[in-house]
Amino acid sequence: MKVVISGLGVVMPGAWGWDEAESLFSAADPKPVDIDRSAGYHREGGSRKALLVDSGRMGEWLSPMAARRMSQASRFAVCASLMAFHDAGLKPQSEEGTTAVVMGTTYGAAFVTEKILRQILLEGPESVSPALFTESVANAPAAQIALAVGAKGANTTVTQRQASVIAALKQGVGLLMRGVADRVLVGVVDEMAPLLHSILDRFGGLARPEHNGAEVGRPFDDRGSGWMGADGAAVTLLEPEDIVRRRGGSFRARVLGAGMAFDPGAPRSGWGTVPGPRAKALRAFLVENAGSPRVIDRVVCSAGGLPEADRLEARMIREVLGDGSLPPVLAPAASVGNHGAALLAGSVLAAAGATFGPTPGFGVPDREAGIIPHDGRTLPAPETVLMTVCAPGGSAGWALMARGLEV
Amino acid sequence: MKVVITGIGAVSGFGWGVEKLWRGLESGATSIREPSVFDVEGQRTTLVAEVGPPGPDAQAEIDDLRNLSRADVFAVIAAREALVRAGVDAGGPRTGVFCGGSTAGMAECEDFVGRIVGVHPGKPTLRLLASQQLNGPGDAVARDIGACGPVIGFSSACASGAMALGAALEAVRSGDVDMALAGGADSLCRLTYSGFNALRSVDPGVCRPFRRDRQGLSLGEGAGMLVLEPLDRAVARGAEPLAELAGYGASCDAHHMTAPHPEGDGALAAMKAALMDAGLESLDVGAVNAHGTGTPHNDQSESCALRRLLGERSLEVPLTAPKGALGHVLGAAGALEAVASVLALECGTIFPTAGSTPADPDFGIDLVLDEGREMFRGKQTWISTNFAFGGANAALVIRGLV
Repeated sequence: MKVVISGLGVVMPGAWGWDEAESLFSAADPKPVDIDRSAGYHREGGSRKALLVDSGRMGEWLSPMAARRMSQASRFAVCASLMAFHDAGLKPQSEEGTTAVVMGTTYGAAFVTEKILRQILLEGPESVSPALFTESVANAPAAQIALAVGAKGANTTVTQRQASVIAALKQGVGLLMRGVADRVLVGVVDEMAPLLHSILDRFGGLARPEHNGAEVGRPFDDRGSGWMGADGAAVTLLEPEDIVRRRGGSFRARVLGAGMAFDPGAPRSGWGTVPGPRAKALRAFLVENAGSPRVIDRVVCSAGGLPEADRLEARMIREVLGDGSLPPVLAPAASVGNHGAALLAGSVLAAAGATFGPTPGFGVPDREAGIIPHDGRTLPAPETVLMTVCAPGGSAGWALMARGLEV
Repeated sequence: MKVVITGIGAVSGFGWGVEKLWRGLESGATSIREPSVFDVEGQRTTLVAEVGPPGPDAQAEIDDLRNLSRADVFAVIAAREALVRAGVDAGGPRTGVFCGGSTAGMAECEDFVGRIVGVHPGKPTLRLLASQQLNGPGDAVARDIGACGPVIGFSSACASGAMALGAALEAVRSGDVDMALAGGADSLCRLTYSGFNALRSVDPGVCRPFRRDRQGLSLGEGAGMLVLEPLDRAVARGAEPLAELAGYGASCDAHHMTAPHPEGDGALAAMKAALMDAGLESLDVGAVNAHGTGTPHNDQSESCALRRLLGERSLEVPLTAPKGALGHVLGAAGALEAVASVLALECGTIFPTAGSTPADPDFGIDLVLDEGREMFRGKQTWISTNFAFGGANAALVIRGLV
């Protein structure tokens, strides 16, 4: 069975939907905003900005009454899922067959968790809101998607830090291959609450204010000091290719496979420096699923400007694809911040031949990384896209996508 | 391909290890009692199934112990026990780890936030968050055993552990891995305790699944880890398989965020899917290890689904529900209850549902009460169910190896 992405829904900072995402990646002009620091979690001199979704656009997809019962993450995920159905030319709640849902998340319900913890700690446990609690579980977005589109198939939420997006893709493809679902919504969602932002900053993950006060995610750049915290969701609709063709539909991309590996020697909260088992597993994956690493003509990576992370991912890519003949490398996190939605949406758009502008924030190559990300020149549509992610703690993942079918 | 369970490990309110788990379950006792891990002042209820302190050697030689969450430690100890039982050194690129959990290091995160907002003493040290994320227990296991294959965390609330086992089953079947450590781990924390109390879902007494006077769930903590591998591989290396993980099924109610479908539509679909995956029919079911949270609506919905699955046999197929003994261990429930199913199959005894009040006669089920019951010969197929917030349902089919 060939698995294709028949629809994509995107809710990202600066982009609602396919067309706006295409424009966003093409313009390469991220617009960070101030994060709410009023609770006092943040340290002096730390990061102050994030790339955040314009949630005022939600009304296009979700009624205020429905939105009121959801966390922000659930709202993003539901909107992106409805978009994915629409993009595929299908109608939620009325399609025959079984729809399954697999969602990935890096941090879970950050806003709701923060609110509940404050209620417990500052006002006492009896003040906890039951409505908030039901949205505090990591699978709340997947459950809300099921309610919104009438998805009665398997409903799974996976979480493997930044590699959650690949874990979700892998599980989703598996459901179709086993024939237990007719279509699968596969996506990833995260939100950026003030507490989470301050914690990521304390761990040294976020871009620091530069001399002019700007905070910039600079992938593979010598000046990189961290990534841009961000929120958003991207959801794909996966279907068997023959089903889509039979109804005369088009599809954005093919999914050729997804794989994951773990380095037990990596630091618990860091990336480490040795691609070792991860590079070995990636090479084996490419040989099995693409025949050879040489067929890759586009890489979409998770690099967002944190030197330790970017360097490890760069080493892994270079070790497998070869130093001298690297295909163009895209780093969508530079445009929309570090979250799985950036990687998933960026990969699907790349596979579909979308235009990408120069990598925002890049200017001075980091010699240790040894990768010059895409400079904005016009590229031919790729045949085979490799999507990669390296997560702190040891996980890494990758997926292969190929060009879709436009009708 | 037959996938077998060659090792099991457990940490529960009864203590550290499968032996203590089985002794507790078989006796019909409960591990639910007053907690010591946090203060319950201001809460509606005061009982939990808490894991007591480990024996002197249980945590020995765990690398970087001070940076692990309580849930991580449960997972690592359970995984080690499972590997010893399986008689194998796991690790390497062909071993994967699939671990469910709902809150992971939340208890430690609560302490961190308490320090930030000034209600807990001490500095908000990042050590408290070093393993806070939901994938923490699975990563801790992978790190401990040296696994280099896929490591995936599952967080679908109370169905997480069963989903992790289902994914592991598929990973072994498809050849993605040769061996999987799969299960779940969760620790008690204020967030879930306060949240379930806010929902009025917690029994002020001890949880009484499927009893007439049931009033809700009791929360618990612990871990269950299982070693999965293909039967031929296990036999080739001289291992003694404990049971077969024969099937997995999942569904979603798509009905309500917290309330189950009143007729158990989703639960029924998950059980049917699991049986189909195993190549079996409802006639083959010899016993049920029910989710049985003890809340009025959940037990009603689940019993309805079981009656629809089993038909007239619903009064003949023994049903046991371990949450009266173990509490609801949330993301670890499916895993710990799978371990309990394997132990029951191994011992040939269906353990009783803890408690002393009468079963709800309206349910039309054969609830195993008071003492264990011998398993019928030729009826060694268990179905183990878990149903979560958001209507996410999962079912496992576990078979004895005759």
